Amino acid sequence: MASVEYRGMNLVIPENDSEWREHFKLARTNHRLMLRSCKACGLMRYPPSHGCPWCMSLEWEWKAVSGGGHIYSYEVVHHAIQPGFKEWTPYAVVLVELDEQRGRPTPDEALRVIANLVTPDFRPEPEQNVAIGKRVRVVLQDLSADFALPQFTLTDEPPEGRVWRFPD
Amino acid sequence: MASLKDKYCIVGVGETEYSRQSARSTRAMAVEAVRHAMLDAGLGSDGVDGMMSYQSGDSVFANWVAPDLGMRLNFYMDVFGGGSSTEALVGLAMGAIEAGMCHTVAIFRSMNGYSDFRIGGTGARAAQPVRGLDLAQVPFGMRSAGQNFAPTFMRHMYEYGTTSEQVAHVRVAHSKHASQNPKAFLKDRVTVAEVLASRWICKPLHLLDCCLETDNATALIVTSAERARDLRRKPVYVMGVAGRVNKPRTDFHWAHGPITRVAGYHAKDIVFDQAGITPDDVNVTGSYDAFTFTTMLQLEEFGFCPKGEGGRYVSSGIIELGGKRPNNTSGSHLCEGYTHGISMVIENVRQLRGQVDDYCPGWADGKHSYDYSPGKCRQVKDARITMNLGWAMPPTGSALIMRN
Repeated sequence: MASVEYRGMNLVIPENDSEWREHFKLARTNHRLMLRSCKACGLMRYPPSHGCPWCMSLEWEWKAVSGGGHIYSYEVVHHAIQPGFKEWTPYAVVLVELDEQRGRPTPDEALRVIANLVTPDFRPEPEQNVAIGKRVRVVLQDLSADFALPQFTLTDEPPEGRVWRFPD
Repeated sequence: MASLKDKYCIVGVGETEYSRQSARSTRAMAVEAVRHAMLDAGLGSDGVDGMMSYQSGDSVFANWVAPDLGMRLNFYMDVFGGGSSTEALVGLAMGAIEAGMCHTVAIFRSMNGYSDFRIGGTGARAAQPVRGLDLAQVPFGMRSAGQNFAPTFMRHMYEYGTTSEQVAHVRVAHSKHASQNPKAFLKDRVTVAEVLASRWICKPLHLLDCCLETDNATALIVTSAERARDLRRKPVYVMGVAGRVNKPRTDFHWAHGPITRVAGYHAKDIVFDQAGITPDDVNVTGSYDAFTFTTMLQLEEFGFCPKGEGGRYVSSGIIELGGKRPNNTSGSHLCEGYTHGISMVIENVRQLRGQVDDYCPGWADGKHSYDYSPGKCRQVKDARITMNLGWAMPPTGSALIMRN
């Protein structure tokens, strides 16, 4: 059973967790964000799942994505629930829409990932820099020899559509 | 399939005190709430032969509650779930009776939601290891309901221009209603300015955008229309029910947009078709106010206003007592107490009886002043049809339409 301590949390992946047991390990060894891709229809999905949400196939393989995307929505946590996050407040949780597979297979679908918006040294990005539409790229935070947590950091690329943040 | 419209009734409702220090077991509270509902219906130990509950690993089971009330059950079932369970269980109780498994079902939710398993995610719940699907969100400091739902509201603001000020009116309305409710944990009326000045919890949610955490048990009783005729109270009839309707990709609903669409979008056709009515026919709504904006989103998705106009709808005065279609007349989860949805159904049953337990001296006899100034009446005049909008998460919801 893989187990890693992070911010006071015990992240546990038993050997029989066939959804997650490779996800964070592959992120660590490849230092890329790897997603499951259906061998039958070719569509990727996240989080890792056994069956394909679109064609029911149980055949899949891991594929690396570019790690680029934009902030689709977000929140800023001021009152942390988990004790290990109290020193991080206020911190941003972002919903990132990845560049691959946008609007597929139907217009409202996309590969979206939850993570924190962090500085390159894995501190929370200041709240005034967080906005819907801003471009981001994945950064892998190593937590152990076989576990990396995918996080996102801002890039200087032009934004995706209208940039909007919650008014001060 | 044959319609069950008007064939089943809710005949009894009851609850314990809403507190933050029950100092007793979920079993003791469940026994008290179910007993109150049985007495309300005029039913004894042999009058109820089915029992259902819902919980999250934080409560007693039905077969531990029944013996304390001298009951022998022909059917019981405890399901895993929180919000949106009540409406679903009413439908399942109707099905169990229809199948001949039993004749009368008590449904309860009992929780020490403040003093033990805090609904906000702290306390006993916080110490649990993070595993399975939780790995997609919890490692990023996204654990509580507010943290899980906030990006949905943020995107609604982005897409439709909805504001904090608009949804603050939900808190204002529900606090007004709670000021007429002797049972309510918070009875003080608040203003929009007070909501906006309260501290940030998880932007865009202020403290007063968030519901309470309380200790309490709540119960209701379902039976057939034939049996209901002989009971103590005027029956309240089920016109339509939809239970735990999903959006696609409930494992990770962010994957299937629009993320501002919630399950009510899919539930509404089921429940309105059964009832044979439209939103315009509904006199009172009971939305799931885990947060101010969840009420806004549900009213919008169930068709009480056009998509995107929920902010304008909830800030128009319509949802307040005295408005065209009051919402959550008890003060509900924002102000009365937190019950995972069942208390909003109980309130609507009382509204349809014309016997809301407000400060009118003659409420028990259905005598109300309809004076909605502080500390007075909360009965809606001529309430004929109510609708409950159940919510578990953005992608899971339920609905229940009742009439008198």
